Amino acid sequence: MTLRRVVITGIGVVSPFGNGVAELMKGVEEGRSGVRFMEGWDQYIGLQSLIAAPVEMQGEKNIPRQKRRSMGRLSIFAAQAADEALADAGIALANEDRWRIGCVVGSTMGSARSINETFEIMLPDHDLTRLNSTMFFHCMSHTAAINVAQYLELNGAIMSTSAACASALHALGTGYDMIRLGRQDVMLCGGAEELHPTVTASFDILYATSTKYNDNPQKAPRPFDRDRDGIVCGEGSGILVLEDYERAVRRNAKIYAEVTGFCTTSSGLHVSQSNKESMVTCIRRVLDEAGLTPDKIDYINAHATATLQGDQEEAEAIREVFGASVPVSCIKGNIGHTLGAAGTIELAAALKMMERGVIYPTLNLENVSQDCEGIQHVMQPVTKQIRSILKNGFAFGGINAALVCEKI
Amino acid sequence: MTEQEIIDITNKVFEESFEIEPERLIPEANIFVDLGLDSLDIVDLVVALQNSFGVKIRNEESIREIRTLQDLYQFISAIKSVKKA
Repeated sequence: MTLRRVVITGIGVVSPFGNGVAELMKGVEEGRSGVRFMEGWDQYIGLQSLIAAPVEMQGEKNIPRQKRRSMGRLSIFAAQAADEALADAGIALANEDRWRIGCVVGSTMGSARSINETFEIMLPDHDLTRLNSTMFFHCMSHTAAINVAQYLELNGAIMSTSAACASALHALGTGYDMIRLGRQDVMLCGGAEELHPTVTASFDILYATSTKYNDNPQKAPRPFDRDRDGIVCGEGSGILVLEDYERAVRRNAKIYAEVTGFCTTSSGLHVSQSNKESMVTCIRRVLDEAGLTPDKIDYINAHATATLQGDQEEAEAIREVFGASVPVSCIKGNIGHTLGAAGTIELAAALKMMERGVIYPTLNLENVSQDCEGIQHVMQPVTKQIRSILKNGFAFGGINAALVCEKI
Repeated sequence: MTEQEIIDITNKVFEESFEIEPERLIPEANIFVDLGLDSLDIVDLVVALQNSFGVKIRNEESIREIRTLQDLYQFISAIKSVKKA
């Protein structure tokens, strides 16, 4: 059986810089930070990290009420990003065989706010009668995926990849395989996440969040930096349109890049700690699948959450495979760690950098940490022809994910 | 509680929870056909009315007979008077 080729033909993003890929890129290009001090978070006893990168929600009423009622915050982001991605791809669903179009949308927490509200209503007296019908739909793990599918009225495969910070890359890998195998022709793939103090708390409790920059929020997070002190959560959604190459060519679609490799491995060691060896294996295997040697990668968009341990392990892994030969950057300094959405929001930015031939610097990387040296950090804008991108993603559970895409 | 208060509070639920324009909220309006509520919405309507009026209505048999806004106003009025008595 011949596997089909898969290309990326559309991008849609909702990020702390606003709705749309253009807004994201403006913020990245201008070196801005979407991180803010979060009012009211200090009511959570013991929460040390009080900063985050929120989205200012807009245009949600454009989604008809009966489609919107089952959507928590992140599902609205995902629906809006999906709309943009389809428009960008030039795909009008009314003219399509919808049984051949599906979506894979992942998330770490699903609708954290709705889950919290549901329990706040129910728990004091274990009273179920005050819960409305749609809260359950907000709280289901696959809420973002089913909401995108019912909003767009898709009839194809709907899947939800729950892999924390690797959810969006897993979504891409799953969609890639669905098209390669000929099960679907177009897949909307990505992730979504929403902010909530309890989500930050899950990292805070592990001492993994940034706590030293509450008075100076825009100085965090600091990927690979000597003064990094942990994760700053962000929110939003990134959706990419993956499409069968032949179909894309037939309809003269704009093609950002071809997906030529995807790999996911696990460290099998620890639920929270990163592990260089399994990261290296993941990266080597994805390069093998793409048929590329390390010197053929033009740009690495790193995961780099700004934790002490994670950045060090990732830098070591990159150093072992690539040395200092490939420029590495990350946009978490601009928009925080968007968790389940990170893989696709960040790959979207990387694809735009590929389009423009510019790699934007890692914000807040001012002094490279000694344990992150030996790789080519981008600290000023670099003009470079980018024909191939490696996108990394690492998650709780020891999960590693990597994707390679190339200009064709 | 007066009849008008019941009407006003009920209508407020329709405006806020279901984003229905006030001019459509006439007593003869059929909740399903004219106002476009479906089965999920009815669950939410019950919860919202319970919260607004401080009464339990979920398990009332007569709730199934309600078709129009007028039916709904009368239903609530009846429940409120039973509660008073």
